[in-house]
Amino acid sequence: MALLEVKNLTVEFGSEDRPFRAVDNVSYSVDRGEVLGIVGESGSGKSVSSLAVMGLIDFPGRVTADSLTFDGQDLLTMSPGKRRAITGKDIGMIFQDPMSALNPCFTVEAQIMEALKVHEGGSKKERRERTLDLLNQVGIPDPKSRMTAYPHQLSGGMSQRIVIAMAIACNPRLLIADEPTTALDVTIQAQIIDLLLKLQDDSDMALILITHDLALVSEAADRIQVMYAGQLFESGPADSIFAAPRHPYTQALLEALPERSEGHDRLRTIPGVVPGQYDRPAGCLLAPRCRYANDRCVAERPDVGAYNGRDVRCFYPLDDRGQPTGQTTGETV
Amino acid sequence: MLGFLLRRLGDVIPTFFGVTILVFLMIHLIPSDPIQMRAGERSIDPERYAELQKEYGFDRPLVVQYFDYLGGVLQGDLGESFVTKRPVIEEFATLFPATIELSIAGILFAVIIGLPLGVIAAINRGKWLDHLTMSLSLTGYSMPIFWWALLLIMFFSTTLGWTPVSGRLSIMYYIEPTTGFMLIDTLISDEKGAFISALRHLILPTIALGTIPMAVIARMTRSSMLEVLGEEYIRVARAKGLAPMRVIMVHALRNALIPVITVIGLQVGVLFAGAILTETIFSWPGIGKWIVEALNRRDYPTIQGGILMIAFVVMGVNLLVDLMYGVINPRIRHKR
Repeated sequence: MALLEVKNLTVEFGSEDRPFRAVDNVSYSVDRGEVLGIVGESGSGKSVSSLAVMGLIDFPGRVTADSLTFDGQDLLTMSPGKRRAITGKDIGMIFQDPMSALNPCFTVEAQIMEALKVHEGGSKKERRERTLDLLNQVGIPDPKSRMTAYPHQLSGGMSQRIVIAMAIACNPRLLIADEPTTALDVTIQAQIIDLLLKLQDDSDMALILITHDLALVSEAADRIQVMYAGQLFESGPADSIFAAPRHPYTQALLEALPERSEGHDRLRTIPGVVPGQYDRPAGCLLAPRCRYANDRCVAERPDVGAYNGRDVRCFYPLDDRGQPTGQTTGETV
Repeated sequence: MLGFLLRRLGDVIPTFFGVTILVFLMIHLIPSDPIQMRAGERSIDPERYAELQKEYGFDRPLVVQYFDYLGGVLQGDLGESFVTKRPVIEEFATLFPATIELSIAGILFAVIIGLPLGVIAAINRGKWLDHLTMSLSLTGYSMPIFWWALLLIMFFSTTLGWTPVSGRLSIMYYIEPTTGFMLIDTLISDEKGAFISALRHLILPTIALGTIPMAVIARMTRSSMLEVLGEEYIRVARAKGLAPMRVIMVHALRNALIPVITVIGLQVGVLFAGAILTETIFSWPGIGKWIVEALNRRDYPTIQGGILMIAFVVMGVNLLVDLMYGVINPRIRHKR
């Protein structure tokens, strides 16, 4: 049984009659000790779906799902108190901007010890020792003196290490990292990812790595899930997705990698932007930006289907040569 | 911390001189002077007038009068009242506790009611509770004190008879002033019931005086809370699995309080302005009423001294507020 099982998760905002679906029937699962990479552009619903898993979507947002279970327990039907006992203990989360993730009014020590106090109790002395351990574990130099530091006295990389220490304080079985390196400079990025992977490996914790950095997930993730405009577009094992993308969007994303633009004058891009609330196409959400789109793509919305061991939401999944299958020339616009 | 304190104290000095100049000049802008006022409706014979002018020192140039006054102030001498012939500082000291008592009660009322109202409104943003509390606070803010005080008296004192109409204590009791604070004095005295009486006398003036600051604090708390609740660290706190109450009361409120404290400090000035009206309406024997009477008599030393002392207290409170920032906000404490 998977550790986290998400079936047809939908998150809606706005009025009941004209809702905006930030996440649209997304399903995925994470096994123990597995690293799942969720990739997509800004506005693709990656963060919102993980906030829904954490139970952090507030009114007026509406979360529905056929099932949302963690370790066999149904997260949707349990009482708020019981759910809080899981969030922060068994599921930890790291956010994008470490500089704003720490409360400016409290010391590092107080913020880490708070998580321990709520979930594990113990004496103040034990909690302080554990905090010191954690700071060591996340590679903070001179942890003792950092204990009493306030967030404004820390650098971005240091803050992110503290945030990580906070998230892993209670030995979670699942850690959700929502673009943990976006706000950091490049040299620190690699250190933070290495740290996350090391922690994941040491404790056999599952990790969901949300990012728009494909190169990063290619190295780190076991499985990858590509999202676009709130929908799942493609999911499957990381290496095979990189070897042969089945969805035109994945293909375009990979082509946009600088490494793959050798021999070209300019980096390749995907023209246009992710559709928002008011400009959703009637057919496939990618249709306006897809180079293979035809009349059917514009008119109908495809469902997710299995193709070559992958889940792909496309009428014409790509073959090994990167060409659309099943698309007869007659249909092409 | 000491450097911080000294720097702030340094800011106070120019303000002090500014206040003395302003007060001194403004008083001389008021038409008529103390001698004319004391002469009453009968006109005064010009010779006698000149004589009195000389006696009070009004014949000298204004600049000379000012420096003469300033010299006295710097030595702690605010002069003598023209009317009572008692030192201004002495009168001030006798009356000030009554005003302090009322002001403290007023600000406590404002904070105790205003803060929770603001928090409740913020966490129920857009719902009926938010609209209710915010329209209440807007009403409170828009209500002129004299009108509000009269309404309170009419309803609670005259119609319902729950509270006394005016004064600090029922005439049934006589309390020898020890601290000057009626609540404390009655509590340590042997007179039974005097404390309750003092408390009942305090209720309406407190509400009248505290309503505007209460409304301001409620609105400020609401907007500050809303801003803080949208911060990432609130989400992080919730992701730790903390109970909503803890997130709001510990993580959000602490940060939201920083601007609210500024507002509370600024409200102290408003409070003294309000005290002048409130004391007059409720016959509260404090400095507000005293200054109004002095103004009517053109009792220059009393007006000057009174306003100067109030300015001093307001400056002191603002200094205190600045120091409070350091306690509540580590970013300020550590700045050099």
